Amino acid sequence: MRKDQNLGEYLRSQGVSRRGFLKFCSATASLMALPPSAVAQVAEALAAARRPSVIWLSFQECTGCTESLTRSHSPTVESLIFDAISLDYHHTLQAAAGHGAEAAREAAQEENKGEYILVVDGSIPVDNPAYSTIAGISNLDMLKDSAKDCFAIVSVGTCAAFGGLPGAAPNPTGAVAVSDIITDKPIINVSGCPPIPVVITGVLAHFLTFGTIPELDALGRPTAFFGQNIHDRCYRRPFYERGEFAETFDDEGARKGWCLYKLGCKGPITYNACATVKWNQGMGFPIQAGHGCIACSEPRFWDKGGFYDALSTGDWGTREALLGAAGAGAALGVASAIRARSRKKKAMAEEEA
Amino acid sequence: MENMTLLDFARGPGLQWALWIFCLGVVWRIVGAMYLLGNKDLSKARRTNYIRSGLRAILTRSTPAEAFEEKIRFQHISGYAWHLALFVSVLFFAPHILFFESILGFSWPHLPNTIILFSGAVATALLIALLIRRATHPVQRLISTADDYISIAVVLLPLITGLAAFAHIGLRYETMLALHLLSVELMLIWYPFSKLMHAFMTFPARYQTGTFFGHRGIKA
Amino acid sequence: MNSQTTRALEMEAALEQIEPTIERKGLSDDERVERAKQAFLRKLDGRKAVDLDTCIHCGMCAEACPFYLTTQNEKYAPVHKYRLLRRLYRRRLSPMRWLYKPFTPDITIDDLREWRHYVFDACTGCARCDMICPMGVNVSSLIRIVREGIGAADLMPPRLQRLKNEQRDKNSIVGVDGEYLRNVVATLNDQGADIPLDKDGADTMLLTTVTELRLFPTALAANAKILNKIGANWTMYTDAFEAANLGYVAGDTKALRTATARIVEKAREQGIKTVVVGETGHGYQTLRWLGANTMGERLPFDVYSILEVVAQAQADGRLELKQQANGSSVSYQDPCRLSRKGGILEQPRRILESMGYEIRETEVHGREDYCCGGGCGEYVLSTGSKLRHKVFDLKRHQFEDAGADEVVTACASCRYNLLIGAEKVEWDTPITSLVETVAAHMAD
Repeated sequence: MRKDQNLGEYLRSQGVSRRGFLKFCSATASLMALPPSAVAQVAEALAAARRPSVIWLSFQECTGCTESLTRSHSPTVESLIFDAISLDYHHTLQAAAGHGAEAAREAAQEENKGEYILVVDGSIPVDNPAYSTIAGISNLDMLKDSAKDCFAIVSVGTCAAFGGLPGAAPNPTGAVAVSDIITDKPIINVSGCPPIPVVITGVLAHFLTFGTIPELDALGRPTAFFGQNIHDRCYRRPFYERGEFAETFDDEGARKGWCLYKLGCKGPITYNACATVKWNQGMGFPIQAGHGCIACSEPRFWDKGGFYDALSTGDWGTREALLGAAGAGAALGVASAIRARSRKKKAMAEEEA
Repeated sequence: MENMTLLDFARGPGLQWALWIFCLGVVWRIVGAMYLLGNKDLSKARRTNYIRSGLRAILTRSTPAEAFEEKIRFQHISGYAWHLALFVSVLFFAPHILFFESILGFSWPHLPNTIILFSGAVATALLIALLIRRATHPVQRLISTADDYISIAVVLLPLITGLAAFAHIGLRYETMLALHLLSVELMLIWYPFSKLMHAFMTFPARYQTGTFFGHRGIKA
Repeated sequence: MNSQTTRALEMEAALEQIEPTIERKGLSDDERVERAKQAFLRKLDGRKAVDLDTCIHCGMCAEACPFYLTTQNEKYAPVHKYRLLRRLYRRRLSPMRWLYKPFTPDITIDDLREWRHYVFDACTGCARCDMICPMGVNVSSLIRIVREGIGAADLMPPRLQRLKNEQRDKNSIVGVDGEYLRNVVATLNDQGADIPLDKDGADTMLLTTVTELRLFPTALAANAKILNKIGANWTMYTDAFEAANLGYVAGDTKALRTATARIVEKAREQGIKTVVVGETGHGYQTLRWLGANTMGERLPFDVYSILEVVAQAQADGRLELKQQANGSSVSYQDPCRLSRKGGILEQPRRILESMGYEIRETEVHGREDYCCGGGCGEYVLSTGSKLRHKVFDLKRHQFEDAGADEVVTACASCRYNLLIGAEKVEWDTPITSLVETVAAHMAD
C-alpha cells in the first residue's frame, strides 16, 4: 500500500468488496456501541482515512499479542486494516534489522512528529535497564524517546497495560506498565493476555474514524470493549443462578456445560468482550471451551490466587498462623484473668480486715 | 504491595488480619472470662448428675417454657427465623461453601441461589425489624448499649453488600464483592469485643445454669 | 376478720413504727461507692463473667418479672437491675476491660441510690427471670450481687438496716428474742403442744421465724406435732431458733454470716445431726444452699424443710395422714425459695393429694409460679408496698382463675403477704399453711 493511498482505495485494490467493508464497519460500530446511523459515518471516515504512521515497540513480552493479531485467519478485514496502517517499526515483523531498523524508527518519529501512534507491548524493567535492551538502547530510554512526539499510546496486552506476567510477584525485573512511566500522553490500555485481535483493530479503527481517544474506563481501557462483565454476558449464567456447577473438568456437570465458578472461573470480576465478540472469528471463548476465565485482562491477574481457586476463596493464611493467634489469645486471657483475680483477692482481704 | 486493588486486599491481607484478630480475640475473651474460675458450691447437692443437668438446660432453653411462651412469642419466633435465615444464607450459598472448604478442608451440599436470595432478604428484613423493636420497645431501648446497635450494623453490612453483589446492584461486581468481604472482615474483627460473642457463650451459660439449678434439684 | 389477719395487721403496724434511720453517718460517698465495688468484685467469678458476657439485651426477662408485668415500668426489667454489676465487670474484670473502660461509665453514689429502689423495692429475688432467659443467664444471682453491693455501701432501705442490725447485735428481730420464744412455747405447751426447749442430747433442732412466732404460732405447734409423731429426738434453742436472716435480706454479708454462724455453732456444740427449717423460704435457702458457702466449709449437719420431713416420713410409713379433705380443692402457692430456688416442688403436692385434696394449679405454677410479691424483705418495706400490692393482684387473679376453695402455702412470709394483700382488697378465700393442714390430718 502506497502512503498516499487512502484506506478505501487500498481495500478495493486488495479485492475487498464494498459489502464486506460495510459489514466490517457495522461490526466495528456496534463494538464501539455506536448507533446504527453511525455506520455510514464510520464507513465514510474509514474509507477516506490516510494511513497513520504506527510505531510498535516490543519490550518484556512473549510476542503473544503480535501472534494474536497475525495468526488470525486471513484474509480478514481486521488483518487488512492492520496492514493498512503504516507500520513503520515493529521489530518482529519488519524486514530491516540492527541500526537500519532503529534509523527507520527515528525517521518515522521525525517525519510524523506529534501524529504517529505508539503501540507498546510488553512491560518495562526499571530495576536494571540492562534486563531488556534493543540495539543497545534500554526499553526505558526507547519508550521515553518514542513517546516524546507521539499523538497517543496504545498499550497492547496486559504486560504493557498493567505489568502483566513480568510484573507478577516477586517481579524480579521491577517491571512496570507504560502508564507508570509516561504520564503526559493519552494512553489506551488494550489489555488481555493476549487481547482479542478485533479489539486492537477496533481501537485503531476508532482513531481512523474519529481521530480521537475513545471513551476509557478507570483502568484506561476503551469502555466499548471493556465495559461489560464476562459473568453478566456468559451463556452459562443461568446455571450459576440455579446453583448448577461443574465440580471437576470431566464430570457430568462439565459435560452438560454447567457453570465453572467452582473450578475457579474469574468471569464475575473480569471486563472484556470475550463473551460477546469471542475468538477465532466468533468460534468461541475459554468458558465455551470448558475452562474458566482467568481474568487475563485485569491488572495483576497472575497474583489473584490460583486459576482454579474459586473466586469466593481468599488467601486466609495458614492453620499455624491461626493456631498461633488462638494461642496468643489464650495467653492473654490467662494473664488478664490472673490480674483480675488479684483484684478480687484484694477485695476479699479487705472484707476480712 | 503496589497496585493492590480493594478486592486483592480484601481477599488477602484483610482476610488474614481479620481471621487472626478473630481467633486471638475469641480465645482471649473465653479464656479470660472462664479462667476467673468459680467458687465451689459447698452445699450438699440434691442431685449430683451435673452433666445431665447442664446438657438438659442447653436443650430446654432452645424453646421457652410454656408458661412464658405467649409473652415472648414475637421475639421467640423472629429470633429463630432470623438465625435460621442467616445460617441458610451463610452456610448454603455455593460460593460461601467454597470459602469454608478452603479453610476447613471439607464441604457440603449447597442450595439454589433463589433460595439463598430469599433467605438473605428475609434475614435482612428481620434484622431491621429487630433493630426497630430495639429502638422503640421501652425495655429494649432502655437496656440497649452502643454495642447492641453497632453489632446489628456490623451484621447488616455483609447482608446488604452480599445481596447487592449477588444481584449486581450498585457498584461494579468486584467492588461490591470487595466491600462484602471487607464487611465480613469488619464483623470478624468486631466479633470478639462485642455481644456477637454470645454464639460462643450461650451454651456454657446454659450449661452452668443447668448445673446450678440441678445441684438444687430443679430442672432449669 | 380472723385472728391471723388481725395479728398480721398488728405486725404491719409494728413494722411501720420502725423509724427510718438516716443512712449511717461516717461513710463518705466515695467510701460507699468503693465498698459497693469491692463487694461486686468479691462476688464476680468465672460463672458470672460468662453470664454477663452472654446477655444479648433481649429483654425477655422483663416478661418474667412480676414487678415489670404489673407496672410495665421498663426500669424494673431484671437485666436493668444488674446494670451496675455489668459496668464494674466491664471496667475491672472483663478480659476486654482495656477496651471497654473508656466507654463504660463508672458507678456513682447516685447510681447506688437509684438502684436501691430497683433491687430492694422492685425485686424479691424470686428467680423467675432465671427460668425465661433463652441464653441461660442466671439473672437473679447477678441482681443479688447488686443488692449485696448496695448493702456493703450501707445504703439498704433504713428499715432493713435497722432490722439486720438488731438481729446481728441482739439476736432478736422486731423484739422477738429467746424470751419471746419461751413465752410462745409456754402458751403452746399449755394448749397441749409438746415443744422441748434447750434440751440436751437432741440430734435434731427445729428453726422457726419471727413471722411464725408473731403471727402463726399454730404453725410452730404443727411442726412440733409432726416431729413428735415421727419420734424425732428434737429441740429448739432459745439462742438459735431464728431461721430468718435479715443480713441476707438486707444484702449485708457480714450480718448474714453472723446469723448463720449462730445456728451452725449451736448445732456443732450440741452435736446436732439434722436441722429442720419450719415454713420459710429464705430461711431454708440461707441455711440449706448458702449456709456452707457462707461459712466456707461443709455443714456438720443436714438441712431439711419441714415439707421434706413430712414427705419422707410418709414415704417410710412413720406418718399417716387421713383422707379427710373430701375432694375440697386447693391452690398451692409455691414459695420461690422452696420451689424454684429450693427444689421442693413435688413434695407439697404429694402431701396435699394424700390428704384427699384436689389440687387446682394456677395458670403458672411450680417452677414458673409468680412470687407472692413480698419475699426477701419486700413485705417489710413501706417503699415497696404499692408494688407488692400490684403483684398480689396478679396472684389473686391467678388464684381466682384456678377457682380453688383455699390457698395453701409453706412460707410464713408468703402467708403474711397474701393475708395483708387479701385484707386490703377484702378477698376472702382462706389462706392457710401446709404444716397446719398436715397436723390437722394426722391420725392420733
